[in-house]
Amino acid sequence: MNIHAKEYLMTNFNNIIQLLGYRFFQYALIGGSVAALACALVGLFVVLRKESMIGDGVAHISFGGIALGLFLDVDPILSALMVSIASVLGISYLKRRGLAESSSAIALMLAIGFSTGLIIISLAGGFNIEIFSFLFGSILTISNHDLIIISALGAITILVVGVFYKELLSITFDEEASRLMGIPVKELSALFNILLATTIVLSIKVVGMILVTALIVLPSLTALQLNRDFRMTAILSIVVGVVSVVLGVFISAIFDVATSGVIVFTLVTMFLAVSGVKMLA
Amino acid sequence: MSYTEPIIQVNDLSVERNGTRVIEEAEFNVHSGDYVGVVGPNGGGKTTLLKSILGILPRQSGEIRIFGDPIDSFRQWNRLAFVSQDSINFDVNFPMSVRELISLGRISRKNIARPLKKNDWEKVDEVLEFMGLNQVAERRIGQLSGGQRQRVFVAKAMVRNPEVLILDEPVSGIDAEAQEKFYMRLGNLNRTHGTTILIVSHDLASVFCRMSHVISVNRRVYVSEIRPGTDPNDVLQKVYGDHFHFIFHEHTCEGIFDDEL
Repeated sequence: MNIHAKEYLMTNFNNIIQLLGYRFFQYALIGGSVAALACALVGLFVVLRKESMIGDGVAHISFGGIALGLFLDVDPILSALMVSIASVLGISYLKRRGLAESSSAIALMLAIGFSTGLIIISLAGGFNIEIFSFLFGSILTISNHDLIIISALGAITILVVGVFYKELLSITFDEEASRLMGIPVKELSALFNILLATTIVLSIKVVGMILVTALIVLPSLTALQLNRDFRMTAILSIVVGVVSVVLGVFISAIFDVATSGVIVFTLVTMFLAVSGVKMLA
Repeated sequence: MSYTEPIIQVNDLSVERNGTRVIEEAEFNVHSGDYVGVVGPNGGGKTTLLKSILGILPRQSGEIRIFGDPIDSFRQWNRLAFVSQDSINFDVNFPMSVRELISLGRISRKNIARPLKKNDWEKVDEVLEFMGLNQVAERRIGQLSGGQRQRVFVAKAMVRNPEVLILDEPVSGIDAEAQEKFYMRLGNLNRTHGTTILIVSHDLASVFCRMSHVISVNRRVYVSEIRPGTDPNDVLQKVYGDHFHFIFHEHTCEGIFDDEL
């Protein structure tokens, strides 16, 4: 390493120590970790249900909700939450009634959500900058108000998944067997879908709606490479998710690049590293 | 057979699948403590019969009651356990240990949203032991052999302490010795706990030696009590046809009856 690079890193290291004292940086770390935890936990069930694309679909649908919120001047996170919950319930309805299978139902809702969003934006004359921050995330602009919403939604999600842990595991493994054990499969599946929508929306500020699916899918995918039991796999995915956000926030601060990009890049690197070690072993 | 109300009552049950009639006017009862073998040719409707009794498959006509309640409004799921034929075809990469899977069997309407308690885990350990699975308790379910998988799913059903255990071909694809052991364990459960058992089986010798009743299914459904001296061919030819002849020596049952776990 040449002397300039060393100096550059040292200066930046000192800057990071300073950064830790800033409110916005603390908010980024706390909000990001809460989102990562919720995403990893919910994501493990999503991956095992082989419904990874629903995360991507709902994230895109939430675009319509965000546009609506900006247009009506209500909190875009809350309007996105309403639209996303309506869409997951819509997807389950289409599936249950046999009107469309999972991926087609997601595509349909995505089309409705995104096209509505675009129309609203053009009617409003475009609110470009704000829309951009939702598309690509803006973890460093998480406000006090955002942090309260993210933490509350995150706490609800983590709590509910924790409470219904064994039932959700049973349903994920075998729906029919769960029904014959007296587990209210339909109700719990609907509840889970609502939690998924909530998790996605609370993570939009962190990584943006385009990359939120990575925060849902990649931690579990990485943890699954390690062939552990369910409890351990859940813990490992949470660790991977939280570590990626924390590392991502710091690395992006050092090199001054887009945080959401670095978070997801860290996730991909961790996945590749674990898979690589596994293949060599 | 006891004189109490039957545990399972099937009246005039007919089932169609894809436009063809698979079960026709089935009519039978299963009583508490019965050990019932369900036999019949492949495609004869054994699985369809069990699944329609449990309300998994829709029926054309007929009435089914379990513990006296019509199946359509049945809620007493904690009193019975079912192991489906397809249960062993799970995703082998699913991250779950044998102990975790069996513990899921302890879920009932009463403990939803509550963590399992100490006595639940004790029951899990007891059944692991009973089914000879303690060596593999911490292993991932995807790493098990075919025979072990089947035993794990039966263990998941047993851990519920069911009054009725319904098993759809739980021993297909396991070697003869393991099958013998398996039937022995079930017989033990039936005798010592009084568990009512319905089991789809192709092992006719085990059915006629060990079980109290046989339900033979080939679109039509016949129920017979197995007594000493029952000629299996009288029972089986109704569903397999007259050309079917099952060579059965009653003395081969000796020793089978004697064994204890």
